Amino acid sequence: MDHRDEINSILTGASGWTRAEILGLVDEGRGTLDPRIYTDERLYQLELERIFGRAWIFVAHEAQIQKPGDFFATYIGEDPVLVVRQKDASIRVFLNQCRHRGMKLCRADAGNARSFTCSYHGWAYNTAGDLVSVPFESDAYFNEIDKKQWGPVQTARVEVYKGLIFATWDHNAPSLDAYLGEAKFYMDAFLDRMDGGTEVIGGVTKWVIGCNWKFAAEQFCSDMYHAPVSHISPTIAALPDGIPAEFAKWPDKGIQFRATAGGHGTGFFSGPEKFIPVEEREDRLLLGLIGPQAGKYYARESREACRERLGDVRADRINGAHMTIFPSLSFLPGVQTLRAWHPRGPNEIEVWALTVVDKNAPPEVKEEYRLGVMRTFSVGGMLEQDDGENWVMIQKGLRGFKSRQAHFNSGMGKGHAKADDPDWPGVIGNVYGEEAARGFYAHWGKMIATDDWASLYPAEVKTKAAE
Amino acid sequence: MSSQVTKASPALPAVTPQLQWELEQFLYAEADLLDRRRYRDWYAHLAEELHYRMPLTFNRQARERDHEYSRDDESFLFDDTKATIHIRLKRLETGQAWAEEPPSRTRHMISNVRVEAGDAPDSFIVHSYFHLYRSRLERQVDHLVGGRTDLIRRAPTPLGWEIVTRDITLDQSTVLSNNLSMFF
Repeated sequence: MDHRDEINSILTGASGWTRAEILGLVDEGRGTLDPRIYTDERLYQLELERIFGRAWIFVAHEAQIQKPGDFFATYIGEDPVLVVRQKDASIRVFLNQCRHRGMKLCRADAGNARSFTCSYHGWAYNTAGDLVSVPFESDAYFNEIDKKQWGPVQTARVEVYKGLIFATWDHNAPSLDAYLGEAKFYMDAFLDRMDGGTEVIGGVTKWVIGCNWKFAAEQFCSDMYHAPVSHISPTIAALPDGIPAEFAKWPDKGIQFRATAGGHGTGFFSGPEKFIPVEEREDRLLLGLIGPQAGKYYARESREACRERLGDVRADRINGAHMTIFPSLSFLPGVQTLRAWHPRGPNEIEVWALTVVDKNAPPEVKEEYRLGVMRTFSVGGMLEQDDGENWVMIQKGLRGFKSRQAHFNSGMGKGHAKADDPDWPGVIGNVYGEEAARGFYAHWGKMIATDDWASLYPAEVKTKAAE
Repeated sequence: MSSQVTKASPALPAVTPQLQWELEQFLYAEADLLDRRRYRDWYAHLAEELHYRMPLTFNRQARERDHEYSRDDESFLFDDTKATIHIRLKRLETGQAWAEEPPSRTRHMISNVRVEAGDAPDSFIVHSYFHLYRSRLERQVDHLVGGRTDLIRRAPTPLGWEIVTRDITLDQSTVLSNNLSMFF
């Protein structure tokens, strides 16, 4: 009986949550969040099904799979998938699961393969994911198995945006272009600053944090506010000896972007000036933490070329940015870390982090990014260590009864954001604000509660980047 | 080279028991400095040209097994110099390094120490295993296990030795800790 309008899960049946209840967990009008969004097991199952099972999910950078047969093993939500470069240079993304008894087909992290042969009973698939060989096909199956029907489950669509490969399980999903929408304008300041685009430093850094995936995704979407407090220690420690700690002050001017629809967000420091010498840029501290050559390259040497590609606004006025593409892809332009937050139950994530660099940057700059990212934003990085501490402590607290009842305040800057900025697409608020967080959570609720994509992405949302 | 991928023929140590004992005692004393949070005293035993590295650990197919650890131009978990170790140490001294404030309790258990002659009379290649136990706040526990290959030489430091290079391998391809805020 469905008189409560419960959302029906394909896997679990009635979810125990009605659409109205889901939408009520995130109250934009009051600016509150119900902490149960971070802990409830049934909500988590709905997320796997209705968010990770439908949305465009980042799976790899193209540079990770360059030659035919190159593969990268990753996850869409909790589903293991293989991302494989095909002979015709196209990309397939399919479930890393044998259709016979569900054994993981490929247990290597990455590599080059001619085929994927299951190590349980020997069913063998080509790199496109077609079942090509079954042991004892005539004696055991009497040649009656229709191998065409038994390839691993393929994602519905795979599309690439400026080097980043995304896949979706949903045939009805909008194009990746429409899904990213206004966010592309800001993504380009990370992925398309220079001719040749980006590549990656080899190796994915993976670690586990005992927290809900939304804490991580939301922070990179919307939270510059934590940086001056959470990350005070490396900013002090990186100052040359003899410089007073007051110099570690973080900038205060900047803006935040909330996607009009879609849940994406970014924020960065930004003044009205067109040209700021690198020594006075508001992200000089961050760039200094990466390294002097990388900082000079990013802020000075590559600037003219970047201006020609992207224009003054994006070349000069995006400093020290953080960004999340809904639901679980985040990156830091300038610092050049990119990561997927893979959910592992409501209480845990795996962080999979990559270092992304301009392909045509000088070798010494790439080397400084290789070193600088691992020393700042990585499991041993001097900034990221503190994020792990915060999120774990929040999640532990949410085991309580009362701690899950008192709503959190997500109202910073509510009512002070504006659309129709001449320079910046989307809804624009203050860099220290939660406009993008409210957009992220509102979209999260809608995506669980809403079946049809058309109402998630109203046609009237025009995108500057597409013009 | 990472401590786990040496291809040399198996051989028993060619050093004297006295030297083996001295180097073992140095490793224990150094571990004790870290576990007592005497980071400045530990730092005094790092050579000026220190290279301190921990590659990523990958799961690879048999024919790509030579790529089980990061290559030099790939991402590492640590790739530090004495100067960057100094920044990490200063960070811990701010009192606002929240991942270590209040501080963790650690025990560096060092074993399987094997010594080879280095290419100078007073420098030695020292292989060891570590089991780094971390207890943090109320009940967080981390176990980090791996191997180290150090280049250690005699020097006018309080303990009489200094670490020139330290190549660390961690036996987890996905690090099961929320951060690596400790020294290895």
